[in-house]
Amino acid sequence: MEMETTISLLDIRPLVPELTMICVGLIVILLDLIVRKKEVVAIVGIAGTLVALYGTYKLYGFYEPQSAFSGMFVLDGYSNFFKLIFYLNIILTICISFKYMAIEKASFGEYYALLMFATTGMMIMASAADLIVLYLGLELMALSTYILAGITRKRQRSNEAALKYFFLGAFSSAFLLYGISLTYGLTGTTNLREIASALQTLDLNGSPIMYLGLIFMIVAFGFKIALAPFHMWAPDVYEGAPTSITAFMSVGPKAAGFAVLGRVLFGAFAGMQVQWASILIPMAVLTMAVGSIIALAQTNIKRMLAYSSIAHAGYMLLGVITGTTGGLMSTVNYLAIYLFMNIGAFAIVIMLRREGFQGENIEDYMGLSKSHPLASALMLIFMFSLAGIPPTAGFIGKFYVFMEVIKAGYVYLAIIAVAFSAISAFFYLRVVMYIYMKDPKEEVVLTRSPSMSIALAVTAMMVLILGIFPSFLLNLVRYSILG
Amino acid sequence: MTAPQLFFAYFAVMITVLSLLMITRRNPVHGVLWMLVLFVHIAGLYIFLNAEFLAAIQIIVYAGAILVLFLFVIMLLNLKKEETVKKFQKHWLVGVGTGIIFAVFSVSIVRKIEVFPQLGKYTIEAVKAEGNIMTVGKVLYTKYLLPFEIASVILLVAIIGAVVLAKKRIE
Amino acid sequence: MLKYTLIPLLPFLSFLINILFGRNFIKDRAHWIAVPAVVGSFLLAVSAFLDVAGGRDINVNIYSWIVSGSFNVSVGFLIDRLSAIMLIVVTSISTLIFIYSIGYMHGDGGYYRFFAYLSLFVFSMLILVMANNFLLMYFGWEAVGLCSYFLIGYWFHKKSAADAGKKAFIVNRFGDFGFGLGVILIFLTFGSMDYMQVFGEAGGIAGQTINLLGYDVNLITLICLLLFCGAVGKSAQVPLHVWLPDAMEGPTPVSALIHAATMVTAGVFMVARCNPLFNLSEVAMNTVAIVGGVTAIFAATIALVQTDIKRVIAYSTVSQLGYMFLALGVGAYSAAIFHLYTHAYFKALLFLGSGSVIHALHDEQNMQKMGGLKKYMPVTYWVFILATLSITGIPFFSGFFSKDEILWRAYLAGDLGKFLWFLGTLAALLTAFYSWRLIYLTFHGKFRGTHEQEEHLHESPPVITVPLMLLAVGAVAAGWVGIPPIFAEHGDKIGEFLAPVLGYPEGEGTHAQEYFVMGASIFVAVAGWIIAYTMYLKKTELPQKLGAAFQPVYKLLFNKYYIDELYSKTIVQPTLKASDKIILGFDTYIIEGIVNGIPNLIGAFSRKLRKIQTGLLSDYGLIMAIGALSIIGVWIFLR
Repeated sequence: MEMETTISLLDIRPLVPELTMICVGLIVILLDLIVRKKEVVAIVGIAGTLVALYGTYKLYGFYEPQSAFSGMFVLDGYSNFFKLIFYLNIILTICISFKYMAIEKASFGEYYALLMFATTGMMIMASAADLIVLYLGLELMALSTYILAGITRKRQRSNEAALKYFFLGAFSSAFLLYGISLTYGLTGTTNLREIASALQTLDLNGSPIMYLGLIFMIVAFGFKIALAPFHMWAPDVYEGAPTSITAFMSVGPKAAGFAVLGRVLFGAFAGMQVQWASILIPMAVLTMAVGSIIALAQTNIKRMLAYSSIAHAGYMLLGVITGTTGGLMSTVNYLAIYLFMNIGAFAIVIMLRREGFQGENIEDYMGLSKSHPLASALMLIFMFSLAGIPPTAGFIGKFYVFMEVIKAGYVYLAIIAVAFSAISAFFYLRVVMYIYMKDPKEEVVLTRSPSMSIALAVTAMMVLILGIFPSFLLNLVRYSILG
Repeated sequence: MTAPQLFFAYFAVMITVLSLLMITRRNPVHGVLWMLVLFVHIAGLYIFLNAEFLAAIQIIVYAGAILVLFLFVIMLLNLKKEETVKKFQKHWLVGVGTGIIFAVFSVSIVRKIEVFPQLGKYTIEAVKAEGNIMTVGKVLYTKYLLPFEIASVILLVAIIGAVVLAKKRIE
Repeated sequence: MLKYTLIPLLPFLSFLINILFGRNFIKDRAHWIAVPAVVGSFLLAVSAFLDVAGGRDINVNIYSWIVSGSFNVSVGFLIDRLSAIMLIVVTSISTLIFIYSIGYMHGDGGYYRFFAYLSLFVFSMLILVMANNFLLMYFGWEAVGLCSYFLIGYWFHKKSAADAGKKAFIVNRFGDFGFGLGVILIFLTFGSMDYMQVFGEAGGIAGQTINLLGYDVNLITLICLLLFCGAVGKSAQVPLHVWLPDAMEGPTPVSALIHAATMVTAGVFMVARCNPLFNLSEVAMNTVAIVGGVTAIFAATIALVQTDIKRVIAYSTVSQLGYMFLALGVGAYSAAIFHLYTHAYFKALLFLGSGSVIHALHDEQNMQKMGGLKKYMPVTYWVFILATLSITGIPFFSGFFSKDEILWRAYLAGDLGKFLWFLGTLAALLTAFYSWRLIYLTFHGKFRGTHEQEEHLHESPPVITVPLMLLAVGAVAAGWVGIPPIFAEHGDKIGEFLAPVLGYPEGEGTHAQEYFVMGASIFVAVAGWIIAYTMYLKKTELPQKLGAAFQPVYKLLFNKYYIDELYSKTIVQPTLKASDKIILGFDTYIIEGIVNGIPNLIGAFSRKLRKIQTGLLSDYGLIMAIGALSIIGVWIFLR
């Protein structure tokens, strides 16, 4: 099938952003020993990320397709756009976590380094064109996030979160590996492009065992994305993990999961669209239902946002289900928007945390508008956006997904999605109602920091700007995916 | 049944039985010891596949290193209380049912395999000619260099994680 | 293009800056941002007006908000002759009101907030006026409503103000609901919301019907009536007029802005803008005309007996708006816009003048406790006189020309028109009466307030009087652009100017008829004046006697026909009761249920769902496995 494989030093070049992230991660750990001020460590982390970002942008040009390591690793607009999401995710996470982790007494170099390693894993996932590389990237990301979820090890719930995430993650990895081995067994390759051609030449598109392999892989990706019924870990882990990590986890691994889902389904299994759509449709409906309905019953805001993030995964999945490029674009667009509104909402949650006060109950938000009008207004923006109320970005995200779903002929799915999104508006608006219409129970003091202000300003501005001027992001997504 | 089939059947059945034995022991030390036997049988499967090197690694790394570590941990933790709790969770019957149905499904699907992919270049003869270790090494350091390096980063993260979760001083 | 974008953008920037930095940095310097911004928009509006007058209509799409296949929503501006005039009216009045507010709101605790809302208000109105599609107009429409809610309830600690704000908002909801439906129907019918496309294709669907609850309804008529619902709410026509008189609970500059330049004129503008649609439906046109005529006379009768100075002016606004709709209904769009334009100046003047009076009397609004202010406040007095001459239609003041144009057009419009003309002329009589009554009660006679108030009587500072004087110039002279052709060849400049957009009203009459109509309106204006003069200056006991003699009528009028009470009994209270029950139910069943984890309503379902989330690792793993298994199983069995 293939001749002698040669690997040259030049193959490293497309990996420069990933290598930068790893190197800076190591530097951060070392700096932690020398530098007493942890701000410096955090800033080095951000700077390293920016260097990697520059690399992604400059190396071959943003949209230029490249491949290395005998086709195992690809750089294209698709992967680069996802990398952009990961960079923004880690930068915003570092911005919101600094003061918070100091309160949690866990602000040290390893924290930032692990964030960078996790991001590296996501980047590898986005660029993976081979199931082995994909799996290893996924494990790198997962292992780092397991540790991050349990990094406040004095808190029992944090430990519990890490342990649950770890065990269930390992379980899902088993599914993934089983799926990969079945695929390899049938097609004789792990390369996505070769799988696609093998499916054609060996006429495997209708093969039941191929289908089984596909299901197993979807189970594993669904676990990372938190699709029902593989979402069970999400509420417990989101609630138990430090809030900054919850913010990080609710965007990064989800986006990475979608990146590989899109890559595998559209790249390798494009010929089996009918089959995988029939798997994903019930999952999407169940996911939206579970997320929207159970969120209604939550009293803890982190748990509520966990269910909300499950529901959002359901909406995003709709775009993938269509099997069209337009649908994939709408999903990617949604992810980018989701990044801003979700991290923004978690940033507000984090601000309520202070020494000796958790601030995680929705009731803690009662009458917040009286004492903190600006923070309340920001929360209002984020909640409106999550609920999908125009003119916020959340509306645009939902609108395009639903539009693509209708275009692809799944009108009933769009109707179901609109119905669940109407239900979900209830619990977002409940937070707003608590903030604006209830009387405060006790004085809430917000923990402020300059980096937090920056993160809030960026996220709120983006939610509004992308809501009012959506074409910029849409065009970026379009060029990224169509080349 | 031919000899290879018998060989495979023995190991496959034993692996299943040993796994069950391992997870149903109340005494953790017993569980670990059953796992040791399990690992040996897995190594047997590798030999069946002409992967002698992997079989050796399986014994050395898993049975030799990891299992010993397990035993250390178990002895250090002194898990007396765990021995008294119930052996099964509430829904164990559902679990067993799921497992059985799953097995039925798998068998029914696997029986339908009709197409086999063409063989790659690493045939038994090719591997035998070059030597097991040589082949693995060559592939690992050429075609699979990238995954190999990513795996090393994963190990690094695991080490960092262990240190952070266990040793890091928190003021 | 940037020039035109800046017209609404400048007030918006002023809003942003004031709301973001007002509290901590700007404080009482807020007008240094707001006033230059609105002056800037005024100058740009003038420049845009000149461009348009030079024969160049501007229709640009700034950017596309949503593009998805054939569905396209864009933000774009249309500046033609109609919107150019509106721009001038809105920005010029706003400028003067902003300047006036510097003096009037001086020392108020939320000074920056006031200017921020005011700027946002102007921004919304400009968007409404400049929009080139229905969706953007709807956005402006709703934004104006929201701002009015903020501004009327600006003194939210005052219960009546907060209530008035809510009332304005809720009453407008009724109208806006119809308007929203109208916009949706337009989109469904034409597949577009762009004015040009909709108006261009409107002729093609004339006579088309749709089935509504078993009845075949003319599509265009339905669209027009739905749109008109919005206008009735926003422009305070019967039966949704109840919010406007209460809207004077806001600070006086806000009342002036709402009554003169923004908000209430939105309805008139919208109908004029949609004239290609309305022209196709006689039913809709007649509805508009009748609602207008009825409102004109109805509000005027209420104004006769009110004692609150601002309330009188408020009802006069409702009545004048009635005139405008009357004109729209008989197809005299340009006459309506003409009256809108002259009315803006004299009504702003009346409101700001009354503000000056109230200011001098330390927030006294009851005319019974005023009187004799002439000698203390000469400037205010004289501008008031000028405004009154204008509103009552004394020849050669602005109001005369525009009102005469409306009555003349109504007279020409068939039998219904004749009847409306009669209503209009009668309303003019009443207008003259209550306007002069206001003057005599406030400025003539003896001061009837407390001694303490009398000590402090003074003329307002220049920052208040200068805008008044400027407005007075407008009140006198604004009408000279529309002199009827019988007086001057090509005198009706505004009608000719607007003709390309609004068309020229049909109907020709003889000169004799025109003189008759004009004579009638002059006669009633003078008659009303004389009656007021006799009643309130000569025989001051007469009003008392009349009031006693016609007690039931007086009470009916004084209580505004009990409309508020009627609504309160039939709609508001039942709604409140129902919503109380709903809220109570919501609280007990849903909120309680959800919050306390006793999901009564969502019931066993939600409880079961939650039970799955046991927190036990092995259960989670089991569920994952079952999930994967069921996917496989479903496939196996359904294949």
